[in-house]
Amino acid sequence: MVLTWRAVVLAAVGAVPVALWPVPGVVLVWLLVVAAVCALDVALAASPRQVTVQRTVPTSVRLGTPVDSRLVVTNAAGRRLRAVVRDAWPPSLAARDDSGSRQTHTDPSRPVRDARHPVDLAPGDSVRLRTPLLPTRRGDRYAGPVTVRTLGPLRVAGRQAAIPVGGRVRVLPEFTSRRHLPSRLARLREMDGRAAVQVRGEGTEFDSLREYVVGDDVRSIDWRATARGGDVVVRTWRPERDRRVVVVLDTGRTSAARIGTVDDGSVNVGGTRFEASVEAALLLGALADRAGDRVQVLAYDRTVRARVAGASGPRLLPAMADALAAVEPVLLETDWTGLVGQVRARVSQRSLVVLLTSLDPAAVETGLLPVVDRLTGTHQVVVAAVADADVTTLAAGRDTVEEVYDAAAASRGDLDRSAVAAVLRQHGAEVLEALPDQLAPRLADTYLALKAAGRL
Amino acid sequence: MTVPATETTGTWTSTATGDGSTLGSRTRRRWRRVRWTLLVLLSLAALVAVLALLRPPTSTTPYDVENTRDDGSRALAQVLQQQGVSVVQVDRVDDAVAAAGPGTTVLVPPSPFLRPEQAELLATAAGDVVVAEAGRALLEAVSGGTIALDEQASAPEAPRPAECDAPAAVAAGPSRLAPGLLVAGDLVAGCWPVPDGRQVALATTVRDGRSVTAVADAAFLRNGDVLTDGNAALALHLLGAQERLVWLVQHPADDSALGGTSPSGPGAPGEGAGLLDLVPPWFAAVAWWALLVAAVAAVWRARRLGPLLVEDLPVVVPAAEATRGRGRLYRRARSRGHAAAALRAATADRIARRLGLPRSAGGDTVVAAVERATGRDPHDVSALLYGSPPADDVALTELACRLDTLESEVHRP
Repeated sequence: MVLTWRAVVLAAVGAVPVALWPVPGVVLVWLLVVAAVCALDVALAASPRQVTVQRTVPTSVRLGTPVDSRLVVTNAAGRRLRAVVRDAWPPSLAARDDSGSRQTHTDPSRPVRDARHPVDLAPGDSVRLRTPLLPTRRGDRYAGPVTVRTLGPLRVAGRQAAIPVGGRVRVLPEFTSRRHLPSRLARLREMDGRAAVQVRGEGTEFDSLREYVVGDDVRSIDWRATARGGDVVVRTWRPERDRRVVVVLDTGRTSAARIGTVDDGSVNVGGTRFEASVEAALLLGALADRAGDRVQVLAYDRTVRARVAGASGPRLLPAMADALAAVEPVLLETDWTGLVGQVRARVSQRSLVVLLTSLDPAAVETGLLPVVDRLTGTHQVVVAAVADADVTTLAAGRDTVEEVYDAAAASRGDLDRSAVAAVLRQHGAEVLEALPDQLAPRLADTYLALKAAGRL
Repeated sequence: MTVPATETTGTWTSTATGDGSTLGSRTRRRWRRVRWTLLVLLSLAALVAVLALLRPPTSTTPYDVENTRDDGSRALAQVLQQQGVSVVQVDRVDDAVAAAGPGTTVLVPPSPFLRPEQAELLATAAGDVVVAEAGRALLEAVSGGTIALDEQASAPEAPRPAECDAPAAVAAGPSRLAPGLLVAGDLVAGCWPVPDGRQVALATTVRDGRSVTAVADAAFLRNGDVLTDGNAALALHLLGAQERLVWLVQHPADDSALGGTSPSGPGAPGEGAGLLDLVPPWFAAVAWWALLVAAVAAVWRARRLGPLLVEDLPVVVPAAEATRGRGRLYRRARSRGHAAAALRAATADRIARRLGLPRSAGGDTVVAAVERATGRDPHDVSALLYGSPPADDVALTELACRLDTLESEVHRP
């Protein structure tokens, strides 16, 4: 049973007779009146359990893209249905629809109330309801039940039931770093020698022979072919293709840390380190796939959280987004020995192994350092770490004494991390650390540089 | 240039009618949900009820017959009851007067709230009257002016003999009760006089056939002092003389004989006129009704439109808090040396990287490279990058700013 504000008004009106005749009888009579009206209204309200609800939602959506949850409410009861219907979704999906532009729901103290729909249906009728949603966090989001509150003809009281209708939306990573993809692809084409700008194809893989033109590197003259024919012939090279790229995302505790991000207009501000790792992985995957390399993705802490292998071309990015969408970093120490074992089990040839993690000195010294040799011996290893924008801001503070001390602490942290990076470089790994919005393009640049140098 | 689509791929549709529950299943579910709460609440209520019933009635009011503390009178009242005296405690003067009659003793312990009108009313009580540590007005009223108060008397150190023939005083023997009464008139007997003065500790007379006794010191009534000297004998004799004892412990809000709501005299505090007397008669009923309306409003607001949806959120505390904590540790420990060393090392590291020096480069190499890049005095640069720790916080801030300036001057050669 539920009451509405009308029941409160009805009870409040009783103050008048009670004030005029302050005797217990009046109080009792009015109390009975209120109770009787409420009971009558409840009895006359349509049963919320005879309402059929159908919910339709997209199975997956990219973060920041508005979607609608659509309900079809059918009145299967024999009475007229006056009701309020609430389509419940988790807070990170709820949105307010303000004349087309949807506002994010990020403030828990101001819950969005627009998911309630007033409904008035004759017996057997149906109505479509639309609930605007704006996904603001990556991951699987499960809808709550649809709550139907039916009211009696007086709208004083009514009945309520929560109808369990299923619904799930997989919120895919936003992939804001895709804006860096066109420029990197142009660089890739230049390296390939297919660009309008006529530069010699870089790389180490033999491509073809052609006549020498002035300006070619004399070291690339093929003397044997020159001797066979009359003209001077040079060899051309192109970047290697069909190399293996293994992107490993560390989902351990250092990735669960909440870091300061740069506000670049993305909906997803104030996320964890893992969000930046996902962005970098997606950009690298897209780029490497275009360059003709075979991309594998592995998310690992103490067990495999997600894995993509064997997908290429247009199927790669959807597969990666889908696999990484549901992965959340956990508060566990990453098992680096197991991780190295996983990588070695998956690729036997020389590959590019990209470890997306952090350069936390303690975690690296006890975890990655003892085992990194087993990777660098066979593979080209790139350790890509997400830096914390908050720490960078701290390191620049000079206004007060407190800020200078904080800056000193941040500088000490920077020194510790660069020491760790130097040790990793001594072990043969490429190390790069960048702010969240810089990591993806920097990693792509590192990949292109390695490819140009023929180190894949 | 198109990016492979990661957009909407399909839809999810599901349908349901009702929540699959019946009236019976819902009732059972609700009963299962509330039964433990209900059980706990009922047990608590039962426990409270049992404790309330088992608790002996006590009071903390001085001279109360249920007060077991030192300033109470439970001991005396119990003994009197065992001796067959029926003790009735009242807290209003008019109740005391109504309860009094032939064969009754009215006891008035010290009553700081007693008004003159009430004292006049008490004087009309039928039966014997015993007043202990009474005020001037009460003494005047009950004795008809034959017993007066002398506030200059001081308590004696040694017991004094009674020196009178009042039976109670004779039975009590020597006593240390404080004197404070003056006797006027021959019909009044004074006991325990001060050796060289007129003050007495007990004065008794007969007025209109009733015995009126005034005791200057109420110690003989208190639990703590009743066993001193002959106090017990005195109390039993005085109060046990009649079959009924009306024990007046006046309540502060007692307004008997004050004539209703109006303050009785000029300058008297208006405590008799309660705030409730100023509001209209329907106010109480409406206030109770408002409570009921509030209850209805609570029911209206309490029912949520469907259950709350929970969502796992990532960690809340920013990772930079660790760095801030380290900075506060530096500051609290005043470890400017460490802070300055960190700032200097970080600056030197960045400069060396920008100038293309190897990580293993020593201080001299860095200073020389900076000198070449900026043209600064090498001694200045050396003091800035490798000097002594700053002496205070101001020096540390200045060092940080000068390091920033130096770094901004260094460009790749």
